[in-house]
Amino acid sequence: MAINQAMCGSYKKEITAGIHFWMSHSRTGASSIAADTFKIAMFTSSRTDANEDLTAYTATNEVTGTAYSAGGAALASVTLGLADNSGSTPTAFLDFADTTWSTSTISSARCAMIYNSTLSTAGTGGDVNHSAYPTVCVLDFGGDKSSSAGDFTIQYPANDANNALIRLA
Amino acid sequence: MLEATGSGKIGKVQVFTSTNGGHGPEQMAEMALNKIMQINESTPSPIKEQALAFRNDIKRILVYYMSKMAQSERTTIWALMKKQGHDDIAEIIRRL
Repeated sequence: MAINQAMCGSYKKEITAGIHFWMSHSRTGASSIAADTFKIAMFTSSRTDANEDLTAYTATNEVTGTAYSAGGAALASVTLGLADNSGSTPTAFLDFADTTWSTSTISSARCAMIYNSTLSTAGTGGDVNHSAYPTVCVLDFGGDKSSSAGDFTIQYPANDANNALIRLA
Repeated sequence: MLEATGSGKIGKVQVFTSTNGGHGPEQMAEMALNKIMQINESTPSPIKEQALAFRNDIKRILVYYMSKMAQSERTTIWALMKKQGHDDIAEIIRRL
């Protein structure tokens, strides 16, 4: 199957089961549960399983280059909002600081995946389980992107109910 | 029949890259504008044209001041290099 920008099917199930913690939160009482770390990793066009059926991050066909480490970069400044979208549907949305690999030489990045890097070991003991490094979504760049002794920046869309990168409406 | 419906959506990212240097003022201005205003594809033509014209006006201003910022930053680095006795490096930075 081809590269396809999508929210991963497994993520929809896992988020409903409460497996992913984007933000610190509390459940009954004042104690706080810490947020997970999510990362974004980039891949070449050979990563043809990068689509809605992807369940986990693996390093297969991941880009390599100066200033890029396998596994990608952690998403920073995660914010979670709630507002009505243009169709008046209450929408929860996530935003992050743009990701930049500075002074980098990275060749032929065609797509990226966001995954939960805190969950480095597969969960196997519950009614709902997950793979190691479970994926959230796949991002299609629409073409190969490269930097050479320069900056490589992924800019996330505006932080609102109609445009934000990850939205649940 | 009653249904509870919902959907998960993934927004569009933009990728900016550079060669032999960092992002220039044009790219930075574009990034800033992407956060400041969005023009919907389905916007009626006259409104869309006005919005695009406004976007271009804002971009010109952003590019100008980002160029000034880059120039000013080089002055700061030039002064620091001079102060540390690296006149040759300072001269290279001044000529950028």
